[in-house]
Amino acid sequence: MSGPPPRNYFNATVGIRSWLLTTDHKRIALLYFASITFFFLVGGFAATLIRFELVTPGPTFASPDTYNRLFTMHGVIMVWFFLIPSIPTTMGNFMIPLMIGAKDLAFPRLNLASWYLFIAGGALTITSLLLGGIDTGWTFYEPYSTFYATGYVILAISGIFLSGFSSILTGLNFIVTVHKLRAPGMTWYRLPVFVWSTYTTSVILVLATPVLAMTLAMLLVERVFHVGIFSPALGGDPLLFQHMFWFYSHPAVYIMILPSMGLISEIIPVFSRNRLFGYHFVVWASIAIGVIGFLVWGHHMFVAGQALFASLAFSFLSYLVAVPSAIKVFNWIATLHNGWIRFSAPMLYAFGFIGLFTIGGLTGLFLAALAVDVHVTDTYFVVAHFHFIMVGGAVMGYFGGLHYWWPKISGRMYPEYWARFTAILAFFGFALTFTPQFIVGYLGMPRRYQSYPPEFQVWNVLSSAGASILAVAYALPVFYLGWSLLKGVRASPNPWNATGLEWDVPSPPPPENFERTPDVIRAPYQYEGGRALPQAKHV
Amino acid sequence: MSDRAASTEPGFQFADAAQAREVSTLGMWAFLATEVLFFGALIAAYFNYRIWYGDELIAAAGHTKIVLGTINTAVLLTSSACMAMAVWSQESKARRAACLWLAATAALGLLFVAIKSYEYLLEYREHLVPALDFDGARYGGATELFFTWYFCATGLHALHLLIGIGFVLFAAIAIARDRLPDGLSIRILGLYWHFVDIVWIFLFPLIYLAGRNG
Amino acid sequence: MVLKVWLALFALLALTTTMAFVQLGSANLAIALAIAVAKAVLVLWFFMELKGSAGLTRAFAAAGFFWLLILIALTWADYSQRRDVRVPVTISSPRSP
Repeated sequence: MSGPPPRNYFNATVGIRSWLLTTDHKRIALLYFASITFFFLVGGFAATLIRFELVTPGPTFASPDTYNRLFTMHGVIMVWFFLIPSIPTTMGNFMIPLMIGAKDLAFPRLNLASWYLFIAGGALTITSLLLGGIDTGWTFYEPYSTFYATGYVILAISGIFLSGFSSILTGLNFIVTVHKLRAPGMTWYRLPVFVWSTYTTSVILVLATPVLAMTLAMLLVERVFHVGIFSPALGGDPLLFQHMFWFYSHPAVYIMILPSMGLISEIIPVFSRNRLFGYHFVVWASIAIGVIGFLVWGHHMFVAGQALFASLAFSFLSYLVAVPSAIKVFNWIATLHNGWIRFSAPMLYAFGFIGLFTIGGLTGLFLAALAVDVHVTDTYFVVAHFHFIMVGGAVMGYFGGLHYWWPKISGRMYPEYWARFTAILAFFGFALTFTPQFIVGYLGMPRRYQSYPPEFQVWNVLSSAGASILAVAYALPVFYLGWSLLKGVRASPNPWNATGLEWDVPSPPPPENFERTPDVIRAPYQYEGGRALPQAKHV
Repeated sequence: MSDRAASTEPGFQFADAAQAREVSTLGMWAFLATEVLFFGALIAAYFNYRIWYGDELIAAAGHTKIVLGTINTAVLLTSSACMAMAVWSQESKARRAACLWLAATAALGLLFVAIKSYEYLLEYREHLVPALDFDGARYGGATELFFTWYFCATGLHALHLLIGIGFVLFAAIAIARDRLPDGLSIRILGLYWHFVDIVWIFLFPLIYLAGRNG
Repeated sequence: MVLKVWLALFALLALTTTMAFVQLGSANLAIALAIAVAKAVLVLWFFMELKGSAGLTRAFAAAGFFWLLILIALTWADYSQRRDVRVPVTISSPRSP
């Protein structure tokens, strides 16, 4: 193809004001994409320094205090400024209106406001890190974070507070959009699973984040005014902080994983040319994860002094929450049966997700058992568990979705062989980084320690070696995706021959998405003999 | 909004005005749900401390000013009634009545803030303000904790109320000039106002009604 | 209608304040909360027009309260069963080191 590209959301208007004052959900998605990529690099840099420090049992280059600041920075940035916003604000923002047949979200200006709040929050937190950082851990446990921690706690927490508002408004926007702006014929059971997953995520965002906001506000009051709310010396209960913190932070991990699971549900049918097996089960499993996820937070407090009665309740409920996740894994695998499998890059990422998430999820069950948890809590076993889910799961899914929708978003095809190589490299790099951590954690190495006994060194060296491979695998897409923007083959509207309303519009889409409101006549993922049956009626 | 074609003026994503209204209403209810959890977290903290401290916390509440608190509750309940009348007047196109009812709502809101400020002054004089000059020797047990919570809760509530008063006054003036902006719905403003009232309905018994017997 | 609701709210307010002075032990809190819930329901149903609203709107309205109950109930599971020995409060407002 040659000649100037047709009018699309990217070139319709020019100038920085048209970007910074946009209300187009697609442009806002790109603004977010740039922001979270920046934060991913910052958090990743902190991780690099951590793994470098842990190569030797004693100090390598950092003092214990510096090390505390490094892992705090890594956690705060990765949780609140990368993982939580990542998929909803980028792919959610871009794709949800397209997938439901709408022209935009319900509140476009609120969408832009969300992004500015996010940037403001990020600026405050980054400033606190540049000024020397904080050493409280991303969990800000009391009374250390209020009465004893030095550093810019107030600044960092204010930044997180603002980013929390950003995510509340985004969630609110998605919920109202999915309820009210679906095209005619797009019933709830015809929605793609990605929409269901992001909707459930949005409900969690709206219901959980305010509790975090209040918890952080109370922490700020305590630190600024030197009063006691959670501090034992002043009559407070530090466990109350933990209850309130984890009431949000446990559902937060479902905020991080559910959209990624939604992406897997999109990718697997396309690249196996099969209907999604058990669509209704997958949908209701997502909802179950969202609901039950609110009932398990006490499993972070088994050894903190919580009453045994409560711990028993939380342990039992934590076993329950694993069931819907397992149901989804079984349905994805069943979708592959008798399919025509293409090992394209998105599919490779999806396979990586299924394998690594399953391991992460199973180790969650070990942790939910009270007796086992007493032994491995606050060790690298926990660190490995959540990284298997967050990195092996959520981030793998993120890259899978990014590649899957790259043609739609950018109008270009990425170089397939580079992408496949990167996906495989990422899988092995990840496995080498985090599998040794299960072992060394079980052997007793505590987390958040700058130095460790020499007998653990071999596992740490293996882990750091893996991390360097993983770093390469994360850096490569920057280059080949960037290259594709300039030199990539121009993408057709539906390069994967997939179902779904987003594939009915040009790549990249025009500013108003659809010329005419689509008329939806089918369920999603209808593949017959390898042929894709589009959801909307084609005139 | 300027980055899209002429067919994409404000509200273009809606099929019609009715849908736009439903969307705005749902949006406000979703926002109120977040506020329920925001204030609710504070209230949950109170309940847990009440279980933990038992009688000490209940006794601490006895130092609050129940007469002023009850009057304030009456003021706020009445302001909600005025707000409901304002919405009804607006619906019936009775512009002047709507403007007056809104003004009454704001006035009652301001009265609440005034009474609350006076309460704060009394509490300051009695050395009940933590971090300022709390008299730890005179008030033992959980009193300081209770009053920390009290100032946080009522302060946050007052902040929400002031924001509401600002919007209500703006709306009253706009209606008087017959220049109410399209995006500002009195009904939806009313939802916010009533919610702030409901927060107080729950704060009132927790703050004022404990520790009153024996 | 507004007038009737307003009178009902005032009646409930008078009731709750009076009941506070009657010694009923742990029932005091239960009664006060029940009356508060009644007032809130009146405001929600009539002033906030849930009476004439769609089921979806009512679901949105209920969601926040229901989720708050989860927080309260499961933290109650901890606090009601703990028999901590608390450090006596001997200091007030320390400065950080």
